[in-house]
Amino acid sequence: MTHGGPNPRDFRPGASSAALLLLVSTALAAAPQTPEVTFTRDIAPLMYEACASCHREGGPAPFSLITYDQVRRRATQIADVTRTGFMPPWKAEPESGAFVGQRRLSAREIQRLQRWVEVGTPEGDPRDLPRRPTWPDGWLLGTPDLIVTLEAPYTLRAASTDVFRIFAIPLPIAATRYVRGLEFHPGNARVVHHANIRIDRTPASRQLDAADPLPGYDGLMPRSAEYPEGHFLGWTPGQVAPLVPSDLAWPLEPGSDLVVQLHMLPSGAVAEVKPSIGLFFGHGPPRHTPTILRLGSQSIDIAPGERRYVIKDAYTLPVDVDVLAVQPHAHYRAREIKGIATLPDGSTRWMMHITDWDFRWQHVYREVSPIALPKDTVLSMEYTFDNSAENVRNPQQPPARVSWGQRSQDEMGDLWFQLLAPNDRDRATLTRDVNRKMTAEDVIGYETMLRVSPDDAELHDDVALLYLGLGRPADAVRHFAASAAIKPQSAAANYNLGTALAAASRLDEAAVALRRALAINPGSATAYANLGAVVLQRGRVADAVNYLEEAIRLDPANLQGLNTLSSAYAASGRFDRAVEIADAALRLAPPGPLAAEIRSRREAYRRSLKPRRRAADPKP
Amino acid sequence: MSRPSAGTACVVLAIVMIGRPMSAGPLRVLDLDGRLVDSLAPAPGVRATVFVFITTDCPIANRYAPEVQRLTAIFASQGVRFWLVYANPQEPLASIRNHLRQFQYTIPALRDPEHDLVRFTKVTVSPEAAVVDPGGVLLYHGRIDDRWVNFGRDRPSPTRRDLAEALRAILDGKPIAQAGPPAVGCILSDFLR
Repeated sequence: MTHGGPNPRDFRPGASSAALLLLVSTALAAAPQTPEVTFTRDIAPLMYEACASCHREGGPAPFSLITYDQVRRRATQIADVTRTGFMPPWKAEPESGAFVGQRRLSAREIQRLQRWVEVGTPEGDPRDLPRRPTWPDGWLLGTPDLIVTLEAPYTLRAASTDVFRIFAIPLPIAATRYVRGLEFHPGNARVVHHANIRIDRTPASRQLDAADPLPGYDGLMPRSAEYPEGHFLGWTPGQVAPLVPSDLAWPLEPGSDLVVQLHMLPSGAVAEVKPSIGLFFGHGPPRHTPTILRLGSQSIDIAPGERRYVIKDAYTLPVDVDVLAVQPHAHYRAREIKGIATLPDGSTRWMMHITDWDFRWQHVYREVSPIALPKDTVLSMEYTFDNSAENVRNPQQPPARVSWGQRSQDEMGDLWFQLLAPNDRDRATLTRDVNRKMTAEDVIGYETMLRVSPDDAELHDDVALLYLGLGRPADAVRHFAASAAIKPQSAAANYNLGTALAAASRLDEAAVALRRALAINPGSATAYANLGAVVLQRGRVADAVNYLEEAIRLDPANLQGLNTLSSAYAASGRFDRAVEIADAALRLAPPGPLAAEIRSRREAYRRSLKPRRRAADPKP
Repeated sequence: MSRPSAGTACVVLAIVMIGRPMSAGPLRVLDLDGRLVDSLAPAPGVRATVFVFITTDCPIANRYAPEVQRLTAIFASQGVRFWLVYANPQEPLASIRNHLRQFQYTIPALRDPEHDLVRFTKVTVSPEAAVVDPGGVLLYHGRIDDRWVNFGRDRPSPTRRDLAEALRAILDGKPIAQAGPPAVGCILSDFLR
């Protein structure tokens, strides 16, 4: 590089005579030789800033890195792991942007650590030592409004492989609260490596937890365990997601459970784990709710030995947005993660770039400042997977075929964005559009899982419901039929099939399936109500009235049954009964479009009453 | 109970008086009570001695605790003696004892405050294993298995169990395979800084 000229390094000390003078005078004032890198002046500030938030007494790291003795006795290792980028743990490449809690040493800082080891880890002048930072004990975000914890600790065995365990923790609140954030304390930071956190408004997670005699349960979170609308939750070591402003808080309804999936790395000893979570509430309902966009592919299917399997996805923003946070997700075979925004003017910017994906460092990357992206920006992702034996993290050796699925031995590839639209109308547009996109991909995920497990009736049921929601009843019929074939003696399966057949306008087949459901469970008001509706559409009014009367007898508060029965009576000309039943339905219907529709039909029936009476009255 | 301890005292005395030729120096190390122990003291049926070097706060070494116990259970009955060697001179005794209890180690433990044994066995990190024959000749030193490739890069389970393979070769009287890549763990030389 120097092309035979003098080494530029030789000139450096003489760059400024003032600097030279300063150098000489300090050298004279201090010991005869002040080492070029010392702990107190050069290394301690790095440790305090980049390492000690975890590497401290009581912190999540396995040893402390605060005092001179502590640091010099790890010096070679610190130099090694900072050079390789293993520490501080921060997987996103610098071009990904500026994120909250970012821990990254500069090349100069890394070089300084190497040099300190080379010169023999000198301590330096104690007067250079900066003030040691303090970390508050307990909650970092303030005093939580609600603290919940596991009732009994979970005992983690001393196994050698990672352990995943899901816990449903009840949230004792009497009225809806608005959550500005939560702080997760692992309870045993030595073994808890990260936590996925969701909210379940149904009893599903609680029931799964209760079914396992030990605290928590193994397996997957149910579909009902979700992120609160528009927000990410989760925990990685050394990180605390800051509270959101009150006007972004998310509603937490009474009866909801906090669902926490712990990813634990057994330490080699038996360990007790008892996490606790502090919740921080705002004052009232939010003024803004972000929208979560998920890019990704659920058709992943990687042959064994495949070294570069690529998935791609893209989405065009229908409105202007601010990107608040990005969360990549994949399992053990993913290697590189790319997220890119292509603006309408053709320019591009990185949203996320990870070149050495590690499943163990799941993290929600929150932007320091929101990234404004205009309408018609394309958000895209590209993930590369290595399913060969050379990928040491490959959980299957020798490698085996792997397809999409949520278990850690399956593979996933998602890139999530937290987007904030500028106003309610744009938010509604965005949310509708995003949900359509994500549901279409969810359906592909189910089809992928069903290729592997074609006899899983629950998968068939779940995907059939999604197809119904997407307005694709023929696909719903296909899956409910498969489910009913797996469990022909299930009333629910036959009922579902009948309902989907009805939605697909295959009325005679629908009636057959519903009758089968009723043969198994004659006490089902909803099955009678649906059967009545089906035969009514076929024009068999008298049969319809009979079925619907039975539905109402079984459940006098079956609104759909009442509504259809009222129509059935009208179709048979008995407008008096039609009005009467419509009145009963109106007493049950919540205010809204359905109530309005019943009311207008009731009015029509009432008008139909009069001419009939008049015609009947002059009867001789 | 008094007889075995008297016997032990005799053995120690005998060693002190007779000594050992050659490599015996570094192989006489401290037990947790601060007594000099001849780690290679002849015992009936012992054909090889394994030293597993650990420190109490090295996460990788700790994650190997179940594996070390497993290997001990397999090979102890085949004439292989196992020693745990706590290699951090600054480690307080109480925390070593606590560590043994916490990780349910049943293997006898030694300390190597001057790293004499570290140097003799040529190990560099915690955890790392060395195998020495009854005559004090170093037969193997290196990783326990290939689970860790680097910091933060580990396999869900090992594909090559280097230490077990070496022991099997020794017991079968076969040549020991070339040691694999260096062991991954906490660097021992740092502890003498």
